[in-house]
Amino acid sequence: MDSLIQEIKDSLGNNDDFFLQQYTIGEARLLLMGFISLIDLTKSKEALYDNMHNWKLEANTVTSMMDAAGEVIDLDLEKAIMLLMDGKLILFFERECRFVVAEPVPSLLNRAIESPTNENVLQGAISSFIEDIDTNLGMVRKQVVSRHIKVKNLLAGSSHKKKLSVIYDDSKADIKLVTKMIKQLESSSDHEINNLQHVTRALGLSAWSSVPKFNTTELPAEAAAALGKGRVILFVDRMPFALILPNLIWDMFTLENDRNFPLPLMISIRVLRVIGVLTTLIAPGLYVALVAVNPEVLRIELALTIAQSREGVPYPAIVEMIFMLIILELIIEASTRLPKSIGPTITMVGGIILGQAVVTAKLVSNLLIIILAATTISNSTVVGFQNSLAIRLFKYVIVIMSAMYGVLGLLAGLVLICAYFSSLNTFGISYLNINMKKGEARNG
Amino acid sequence: MDKSLHVIFMYGLTQLGFIFFFYSGDIIASTSEGHWLAIIIGLVLNGAMVWLYMKGLGYFPQQDIISIYTGLGKGAAVLFLLPLIFFLFITNIITIRAFSEAITLIFLANTPLWAIMALIIIISGYIALNGVESIFRTGVLLAILFLPVILFTICISFQNVDFRYFFPIMDEKLTFLTKPPYWHSFSAFAGSFLFLGFIQPYVAYRPRIVMITVAALVPFYFISVYVPLFTFGQSTASTFKFPFIVLMSTIHINWLMFDRITMFLLLCLVTFTMLFISMVLWKLSQVLHRCLPKVKSSYFVIVIAAVNFIGCLFITNWDEIQSLIMWNTMLRFYVLVGIPCSIWLIGIRSRRMIKDEGA
Repeated sequence: MDSLIQEIKDSLGNNDDFFLQQYTIGEARLLLMGFISLIDLTKSKEALYDNMHNWKLEANTVTSMMDAAGEVIDLDLEKAIMLLMDGKLILFFERECRFVVAEPVPSLLNRAIESPTNENVLQGAISSFIEDIDTNLGMVRKQVVSRHIKVKNLLAGSSHKKKLSVIYDDSKADIKLVTKMIKQLESSSDHEINNLQHVTRALGLSAWSSVPKFNTTELPAEAAAALGKGRVILFVDRMPFALILPNLIWDMFTLENDRNFPLPLMISIRVLRVIGVLTTLIAPGLYVALVAVNPEVLRIELALTIAQSREGVPYPAIVEMIFMLIILELIIEASTRLPKSIGPTITMVGGIILGQAVVTAKLVSNLLIIILAATTISNSTVVGFQNSLAIRLFKYVIVIMSAMYGVLGLLAGLVLICAYFSSLNTFGISYLNINMKKGEARNG
Repeated sequence: MDKSLHVIFMYGLTQLGFIFFFYSGDIIASTSEGHWLAIIIGLVLNGAMVWLYMKGLGYFPQQDIISIYTGLGKGAAVLFLLPLIFFLFITNIITIRAFSEAITLIFLANTPLWAIMALIIIISGYIALNGVESIFRTGVLLAILFLPVILFTICISFQNVDFRYFFPIMDEKLTFLTKPPYWHSFSAFAGSFLFLGFIQPYVAYRPRIVMITVAALVPFYFISVYVPLFTFGQSTASTFKFPFIVLMSTIHINWLMFDRITMFLLLCLVTFTMLFISMVLWKLSQVLHRCLPKVKSSYFVIVIAAVNFIGCLFITNWDEIQSLIMWNTMLRFYVLVGIPCSIWLIGIRSRRMIKDEGA
């Protein structure tokens, strides 16, 4: 056994945050091993001592101590290192030559549960997931108190281990889908998982799909609702959100929180989001089509006004549109990159440029600014940032096609996007399904 | 899983595309009075054939018509499927070419014809490449997006009607039966319901609901013919190539910022037609894939689309389209009457054989 201690020392001893201490409680002489960066050592010792104290009167003191301290196990080097890396405290009882793995007091490396940063909630629970996977699991358990909720923990990665948890409601979810998913994750357990692209690949899904394969949410309430609808939730350690599989088109328009409003209001809010998406897709393309290719479709008065507002603009509508759209994208990108204190500056400068200066300088027409504003605003009505990104990308397809074919191009672009949406599926479940019905997953 | 909704949307959309585009012109050209009789004869034939077709298909659950015909033996399969392949090919070419022609006529005067045809073919090909279920889902999405527009334009098309044009009521000699435009009018029916026989292994549907859809579409046939008649009168209406589309150009709505509502009608119909073309491409690829199973069916889609495109390029003017439609008449009636009847007869035969074996 001493050889194992030596081995552990050899492989971990060159870490300055690794400790190997001698410690005595009563008759027992121990060696404590662990990482000082992951364990609050003082408190752990205290706890250990308190614990031992309770058992002092027993007949065979040391054995009961070992049982009380944690799990008595036989270790090999690989396993020992895994446990230490995982933040466990390993006790070695020198006289008895036994290893005990104890659950120490961890040092605080997680933030507290806060309100969400990427999603806003009106009239609803505002606690959001954090980086710690166990806390997240606990939050879901707290949200859905049901014996049907099942959790499956997995470990992925060969050199960097990452914890994954699959959660599902076994009375609602399609068990075939769940087993297929778990099997897929297990078979790709040597994949490193550090980001969502890795997760997509580990699940065996195409990383080239522009529409994200999972819906992400920071809110336990949304996650719980998804479980109730038979979806599967995937947690990845160190990611402060739940990945809901599969992602369906209707998720773009609905939030569980909508149901906290009366039904007519809920319906209107959702209709508004649908209009938002359609406006984002259609408005820029329609402008290009009507100005450049099919002005005769418009009322003559309107056509003249538009022509007047474009007077002096030296290039075709498509260039004008793409030019301004890209500036707008740059503003959005810049305001996410910047620290919060400088962010408003960008908004202000951008606002001035877009609002007035460009028009006065006759670089673009008035109407275009209105269209742009409408597009950007309506783009933000989509639920989920990842969905709004996809829609943002698709509008360019329509703009370009409109420039070539006018209104026909606009509609053809819409057909193309519809066809693209129809072709998507996750584990055999089509992106366009409104509900996840059982038995839908086939030969995915 | 029951996908009746997908199926009826598919059927309804492809029918609408043809009704408002070709059908009204053909019927108005074929007779000068008593159009309703002409419409009803067509509709009854169509209804009967769809019913017969589904009845026949009902004898072969989970089989498509290709395997039904190949079940009869190789010779029979070639005999039945070869005309079908020709029909689908020619229909595709006619449809693409005619729609592109109309688009250039109405609002893309400066865009070359080949560019429009290429757009239609590429998009249809893309839809077809994604497989049959994807075609159906696209159909549902298109229905949600564009059906409201179509219904809206149909509602406002009644703006200038004068019901006195309904008279004379009767064409007693039934002269229209012998006129080529009347035969052409059946292209609205033929081909639209064929897909029901191809999708059985992939998509389940209830025949009753399809029949209800056939019935629900009846008013649209009458609207497409009678609204232009009520607006222009027979003598004027018969001079137009696409009466319903011309009719939409005459509609004026104060509160709408658009001047030409035709465009929206026509474009929505074009999107429905893209769906139809993709369905035909898929059907063709299925048949050819069965002949050469080694080649992936997606390659067939690409090849067929390319051949269709080249075929379209060879047609230089509207008269050639007309003559192509004319040549297609025989095939059209074969598809409209021959295929449903043959499927039904084969179905009855196979049932009798099973019964005999049982006895």
